Amino acid sequence: MAQSNPPFMSGVPELLLLRLLDQNEMYGYELVRSIRAATGEAISLGEGVIYPVLHGLERNGSLKSKRKAVRGRTRVYYSLTGKGQQRLEKLRSDWRRIQGGIVNALETPSHA
Amino acid sequence: MPSKPRAMPRLDLAELQNELLRSGISPRHVRRTVAELNDHFEDLVDHALAEGAESTTAHERALVELGDLNDVAAAIRSRPELRSWAYRFPYLALIVYPLTCLALLPAVPVVAGIAHAGYLARWAACILLSGVVTAAIFLFMQLSITLT
Repeated sequence: MAQSNPPFMSGVPELLLLRLLDQNEMYGYELVRSIRAATGEAISLGEGVIYPVLHGLERNGSLKSKRKAVRGRTRVYYSLTGKGQQRLEKLRSDWRRIQGGIVNALETPSHA
Repeated sequence: MPSKPRAMPRLDLAELQNELLRSGISPRHVRRTVAELNDHFEDLVDHALAEGAESTTAHERALVELGDLNDVAAAIRSRPELRSWAYRFPYLALIVYPLTCLALLPAVPVVAGIAHAGYLARWAACILLSGVVTAAIFLFMQLSITLT
């Protein structure tokens, strides 16, 4: 099982959720499986913590949800809104900037 | 001696539910979180069973994969936007709202009267009619006493 990585997780679940929901509408369990698959199991969440993130994103208008009955269970499917699309673009560019900075820091010899 | 069968692990969300409500999370979000966690747990159990796990093991695995419910509670509490409006705007809830209700209270019968004018008219007519019938009975009794 992949290790969870709480100290580095701030903002990452939000970025991954928005990215995945940009492609398809999904429900919570499906999203967790997709995060595992998309990250090669490098990122593994305590699965229950995905729901506060989803509800927060829905509350701020980045996501919308609808209920669907599937095989006797009511599932809540989430999908991206226009505001969510903008949020995804911003998070993506923030992430690339930070990633570039970290890569530079790791590859540049230390002057300390 | 045969070993005792293991107890079936259960997902108990009652404590999480109570804690979230006590923390001021909106009841709608609490109900939804509990329902989604339940469904997620069932999906995890189904997945483990499909992989050939025995039922008790499947439930144990599902509990582990769902994660610590204290972490879920902490993640929800860290999002002020999921709190009920009374917790987000306490002055509004504790001062403005009750004062507004108090101010509107005297107007309620008038508003209700306008909205239900037909009922009120029928009710008044019935009261009037019953008053007339009662008065007529009393008059008849008084006259019968006086004239005999």
